[in-house]
Amino acid sequence: MTTLTAQTTQVYQLFIKATPEAIWDAITKPEFTERYFHGARIENSPERHRSFGPDGSAWGDSPTFEFDPPRRLVHGWRSLYDPELAEEEPSRVTWEIEPQEGSYCKLTVTHDQLERAPKTAESVSGAGWMMVLSGLKTLLETGQPLAG
Amino acid sequence: MTDDDRVFKALADPTRRHLLDRLFERDGRTLTELESELEMTRFGVMKHLRVLEEAGLLVTRRSGREKLHFLNPVPIRLIHDRWIDKYTERRVSALSDLKTRLEETG
Repeated sequence: MTTLTAQTTQVYQLFIKATPEAIWDAITKPEFTERYFHGARIENSPERHRSFGPDGSAWGDSPTFEFDPPRRLVHGWRSLYDPELAEEEPSRVTWEIEPQEGSYCKLTVTHDQLERAPKTAESVSGAGWMMVLSGLKTLLETGQPLAG
Repeated sequence: MTDDDRVFKALADPTRRHLLDRLFERDGRTLTELESELEMTRFGVMKHLRVLEEAGLLVTRRSGREKLHFLNPVPIRLIHDRWIDKYTERRVSALSDLKTRLEETG
């Protein structure tokens, strides 16, 4: 198998049957994020993006760059839960919510500016973000977190 | 057509699978870059890219005057969750149990 360097711009897009407001709440409020984001309690305010692990330790603490409910959220990313990743330069995460026909929304998550954070890029790529996003979809569409 | 139908249809073509593999290796490519690796007209490549985009398997972004193509792996993951996990879970866990047992005794 070829070994690959993880991409420095990663794009993930999915359709979720929910209102833009419900999706916004699910990505910005800790009582929702702890149910699909590896148990992390994430608080997004217009100033900061803060994430806490189930034991209360800091998993992330970065500036918010754009805060436009319920359409667009842009914040910094540093993986504080792993010392090796925490040493790397910060990257950026953009959430875009676009209403579609038939009570669906298109959610696009772009994790970029990963040029100086190769280990972070590797750790979030593929299954990393996808587990989170498929958990978010399941939570919003069924009210239940993913099993397992 | 449902979302799943679009993904299966998009994956049912060797050129489109080849395009996905190229993007998996290096993401954010232009049409010109993708076209240079295929024995196909620009129009033909564009048609395939459109099918992939409609299935949600790729997302395009403008960067200055260029249009960049990014692989979106989420629909494949959702197909995996829905169609593959379900049928392979028991067999895979039987195999991993066997591996554990053999390695313990061996």
